[in-house]
Amino acid sequence: MDVLSPKERLLRSLKGEAVDRAPVICPGGMMNSAIVDVMKNHGNVLPDGHRDSKIMADLALDVQADTGFENVGIPFCMTVEAEALGSDIDFGTLKCEPKIAKEIFPSVKDVIYKADDALVKSPRAGTVFQAIYNAAGHSPDIPVIGSITGPLSTAASVVDPMNFLKELRKVKDESHRFVDYVTNQLIGYARYMVDNGASVISIADPTATGEILGPRMFGDYAVVYINKLVDAIHEMGVPVIVHICGRMQAVTHHIANLHADAISVDALVSLKKLKEAYPQLTTMGNLSTFLLEFGEEPNIQRGTEQLIRDEINILAPACGLSTSTPLSNIQTFTGAAKAV
Amino acid sequence: MEKEELLRQIADAVVEMEEDTVEELAQQSLTAGIDAYETIDLGLAKGMERAGQLFDEEEYFVPELLMCSDAMNVGIDVLKPHLKSENVSKKGKVVIGVVEGDTHDIGKNLVRLMMETGGFEVLDLGRDIPPAEFVSKAEEYGADIIGIATLMTTTMPGMKEVVDILANKGIRDKYKVIVGGGPISPAFAKKIGADGYARNAADAVKVAEKLLGNTDLALGA
Repeated sequence: MDVLSPKERLLRSLKGEAVDRAPVICPGGMMNSAIVDVMKNHGNVLPDGHRDSKIMADLALDVQADTGFENVGIPFCMTVEAEALGSDIDFGTLKCEPKIAKEIFPSVKDVIYKADDALVKSPRAGTVFQAIYNAAGHSPDIPVIGSITGPLSTAASVVDPMNFLKELRKVKDESHRFVDYVTNQLIGYARYMVDNGASVISIADPTATGEILGPRMFGDYAVVYINKLVDAIHEMGVPVIVHICGRMQAVTHHIANLHADAISVDALVSLKKLKEAYPQLTTMGNLSTFLLEFGEEPNIQRGTEQLIRDEINILAPACGLSTSTPLSNIQTFTGAAKAV
Repeated sequence: MEKEELLRQIADAVVEMEEDTVEELAQQSLTAGIDAYETIDLGLAKGMERAGQLFDEEEYFVPELLMCSDAMNVGIDVLKPHLKSENVSKKGKVVIGVVEGDTHDIGKNLVRLMMETGGFEVLDLGRDIPPAEFVSKAEEYGADIIGIATLMTTTMPGMKEVVDILANKGIRDKYKVIVGGGPISPAFAKKIGADGYARNAADAVKVAEKLLGNTDLALGA
């Protein structure tokens, strides 16, 4: 019998305290787990749920109940932040997640700066806060994770990404000013999430990868602004998960400098080796989402057992789940994780 | 300045991302009467090729590669009006795009850049492209190669669909299909029946050259 509630288990894991077994979670946001099977089972569907707090909360609770993940993850996409800062969004379909239709500014030099509370006052942020509030009230033992798009990914969703990446080198002062502005908006966003009941914040920043930025830009921008965001959330008394996409060799030495309470990584990264190199890290991940979508159940079972043998602290999918992932495969994953 | 020395300096300036130097040296090359095509081929493109190598070796990353490309383009703008049309020979035609459902196109843009620099004619379909459109555009354009990219595991099946559509239409042999992107592996490329797998933008050029040279080494088998 489980002695810890899912919330206690996750919070203890994030503090590095002893637990009966590793929690198995999926934070939402980039790592969205609102799959088609769940939407069809209950009728709370996307894309409507991106703009309706009741559907958003109900769907997040449906996902938690059906999949067996030990958290509620809100929202289901990475567009809330960029939309509030001016970009056009394509809300997608039931099967296809929303995306940035067009970044509003061609260059960091063109950015029109909004008031510091522009993001928290945007209608969709309001939807997210209300959904978090509803979900947190529903079940006090299940942690609600508020998911945030990281500073560089949000920045590259507001300014054309090709120009933005060049300007990180070319126009440093303006780039720093812009990313700092984005980070301040995100801090406000996190605060409202926490005030409405989020007990963990998860930051995914897929533009901030070693493969794209290289070690220098990763150090100069990603580490600086992710840490600024993490430090501010820590002051709110809430732990933070940071997810780093892609291969990490180029930036592994920076990972220990991130102030996050847990580092979540892609399937390409060996968490076992990362743990060996940096024993102080709390590791999270990283069952292949390809395996979860197309794999056979025995392979998913084995993959999960391997993560447990490697003593990964928090079990989770390695990346965003495909919306067509079969529910039974996810249940195999969460079932194997809990069978310890 | 000797011609070789000038071309070498142009290549260096591209690698060093020095737009102003490239512009100045490109002007100098015209004044010195050096053929514009030669300056592009042995100066600018050579520099970009070296930038691609540095990218492959993880010395350069996306920001650096894009800045090298900007420097190269400044030089091309200077030289283009002086090109004689007869020496524009192309290695082949490529249509390239990101699979439907995925709007991440940084990698695809890099591939386009390196392919163009490497002497291919490229039709860039953009991002979020339905499988059938890869095929219809390739037919229209008279492509030799179809390049399909994705950054997301969720859209990988779209790649297989492109191959399947080609097969169903009985035109699979008309095209070489190259796939690449974050979650793609050589094993996946083989599994869906693609002709080639490109690890990154620099690699894509080599794979394309191999495939059109009719070798079957492109899957790294």
